[in-house]
Amino acid sequence: MRATRSSWVALLAGLCLAGGTWLVLPEPPRPALAHKEPHTSEQLKLFQDLFMEQVGIGDLLFHGDAETERRLGVTLSKTGWACAMCHPYASDTHPAQFPKWQEQMSKFATLRDMINWCIEKPNEGEAIDPDGPAMKALEAYITWSNRNSPLQPGVH
Amino acid sequence: MSLDHHHDEHGDKLLGSDDFQQARREMRRVLWRPGLRADTQVSITRRIFIHRALLGGTAAAAATAGWLPRINTMDMAFAQEAGPPSTFRFAWISDTHLYPKEVNTRFVEKAVRAVNDVKAMDPPPDFLIFGGDLAQLGDPVELKLGAEIINELDVRKVFIPGEHDWYLDMGKTWNELFGTSPWTFDHKGVRFIGLDTVSRAMDFWTARNMTPTERMAAMATLDGALGGAWAGLGREQLDFLDRTLSDWGTDRPVVIFSHNPLYEYYPPWNFWVRDWREVHEIVKPYTKITNIHGHTHQVLYNEIGAMRSIGMLATSWPWPYAPEGVPKLTRPMLRVDPGDPFDGVGWGQITFNADNQHVEHEYMMWRKDILATSQVDSGTGDNPTTFLSPRPDGR
Ligand code: HEC
Ligand SMILES: [Fe+2]
Ligand SMILES: [Fe+2]
Repeated sequence: MRATRSSWVALLAGLCLAGGTWLVLPEPPRPALAHKEPHTSEQLKLFQDLFMEQVGIGDLLFHGDAETERRLGVTLSKTGWACAMCHPYASDTHPAQFPKWQEQMSKFATLRDMINWCIEKPNEGEAIDPDGPAMKALEAYITWSNRNSPLQPGVH
Repeated sequence: MSLDHHHDEHGDKLLGSDDFQQARREMRRVLWRPGLRADTQVSITRRIFIHRALLGGTAAAAATAGWLPRINTMDMAFAQEAGPPSTFRFAWISDTHLYPKEVNTRFVEKAVRAVNDVKAMDPPPDFLIFGGDLAQLGDPVELKLGAEIINELDVRKVFIPGEHDWYLDMGKTWNELFGTSPWTFDHKGVRFIGLDTVSRAMDFWTARNMTPTERMAAMATLDGALGGAWAGLGREQLDFLDRTLSDWGTDRPVVIFSHNPLYEYYPPWNFWVRDWREVHEIVKPYTKITNIHGHTHQVLYNEIGAMRSIGMLATSWPWPYAPEGVPKLTRPMLRVDPGDPFDGVGWGQITFNADNQHVEHEYMMWRKDILATSQVDSGTGDNPTTFLSPRPDGR
C-alpha cells in the first residue's frame, strides 16, 4: 500500500504543473485532429492510460484517501467512513442500472445523483460538483469496477 | 503469549497446491449445486447432508506441511459443568468497529444500543460472546472504549478478536483487555470453543517498511489486496480444536465461535478461513455442531456435513452480499436503506434448546422485517448480473 500510495503522490505532484488538469502523459491528439487520421497504437494506449489514471484517482477517493480529497478540494465524508467500507469492489453501486427511478430521492436519478446522495447521507460529507474532477474520477472507478456487468437500464 | 507475527508457510503451501484448487472446485460444485435453495418455511433449522467424500484427501497431506505459529491456549475460568443439557440463552454482539468518540459517535451509539438490548433480556442471557472487530483501527483508545461499553453488562463475557482489533499492536492491547484465544468451556451440556482466525496474516509489512498504522489501515480495508488470505486457524489451533473435541462424545452438542466463516464464501474479502477444509476434517464426526461467526456483517446460513454455520449481523454497518458464493441455504436479508444508520445492523440472541439439542438463532435487527421474501427486495437479487473486479494495480 505504501509503495502504491507514494507512487501516486509522486504522480500527482507532477500533475500540478499542468494547471488543474491531470495529464502527465504525452499530449493527447488535438481536438481538430480527432478521428481525421488513423490512430496509432501509442495513441490508443495513451487514451487507455488516461482512463486508468482517473480510475486510480477514483479508487483513492472511494477508499477515503485524505490527500487526494484535499488535492481535489472535496470532503466526501465527515464520519470517517469511506465509500469502500460499504461498497467493497464498488459492489452495490449498480452503475449499469442508471439512470433510474430512485426511491430515496423520489426522482429519476443519475449515478452522479446517487453518488452525491451517499456523500451527504451516510457520510455526512459535502456534495461535490456533478461535473467536477472528483465526480468524474469516482464515476470512472465505479464503472470500471463493474465493467463486466451487463447494462440493465432502469432495473431497481 | 508471544506477540510475534506468525509466518504461515503452511498456509502458503496449502493455497498454492493444485490439490487445494481442485478441492475448491469440487466443493463449489457440491455446495452451490443447481436446484439447492434456502427453505423459506423453516429456513434456519433445516438440515441437509452433503456427501462427505470431498472433505477427505488433501487436508491430511497439508497437515504435515511446515507450521510456525505459537499460541497459548487458555481454558476459561468457568466451572466445567457436566450433566445433561438444559435449555438456555446467550447473546452475540460483534463488529462494533468503534472509532474514538471525537471522530464519530454513530458506531458508539449502536454498540450502546446493542448492550442495552442485551441488558433488557429477561431472563438475562447466561453469557455474552463478543465476536471481534470491537475497534475500527486497533487503537487502544477504541479498544478501551469498547471494554467500557461492554463492561456495562453484568453477565459473564467471552471474547474472540477480529482483524480490526489486532494489526496496530499485533494483539497486545486486545490480549491485555480480553485475554488470549483460543479457549474452551462447557456450559449446561454444551462444549463452547472460541477461535482466533485473524492473527495469522502473512508478513506483507516488513519488506514494505510499513508503520503499524499503515499495516492496520491495509488490514482494515476489506477489498485491499495487501493482506492476502489472512484468515486462518493455523496448525496449532487446528490441533487445539482436535484435542478439545477428542474427549467429547460425537453426539454431544458443540458450538464454535469464530470471527470469519469456517467455509469458503468469498476469499477476496476473506469471507472464509483458508484452512476450512482441515476444520471440516476435524469436526466431521460430530453430529451436533454449530459455528457462529461475525466479520461478514450480513445474514448468512450454511451447512457442510453436519456443521451448521450462522453469520451474524454487525452493529456498525452492513455489507452487501458478495457477487458470488452466497450459500444457497441462506435466506438473504433485505436490501439496506443507506439513509438509516440503524438499518441492516443489530445483534443476536441464541437459544440452546435442550429438547432437540438444537441451536436456534434470532437476528435482532433494528427494523421490522429482516429476511427478504422476493428477489427484488433481496440483497442478493442483483448477484446474477453483477460481475465485480479487483481494484486497479493490485491495491
Ligand atoms: C454506511 C454505508 C454506506 C456508505 C459509507 C456509502 N454507501 Fe452508497 N449505498 C449504501 C447502501 C446500503 C446503498 C443501497 C444499495 C441498494 O439499494 O442495493 C447505497 C447505494 C449507493 C449507490 C446507488 C446504487 C443503487 O442502485 O441505488 C451509489 C452510486 C452509491 N451508493 C455510491 C456511494 C459512494 C460514491 C459513496 C462514498 C462517497 C458511498 N456510496 C458511501 C451504503 C453506503
Ligand atoms: Fe467487521
Ligand atoms: Fe472482520
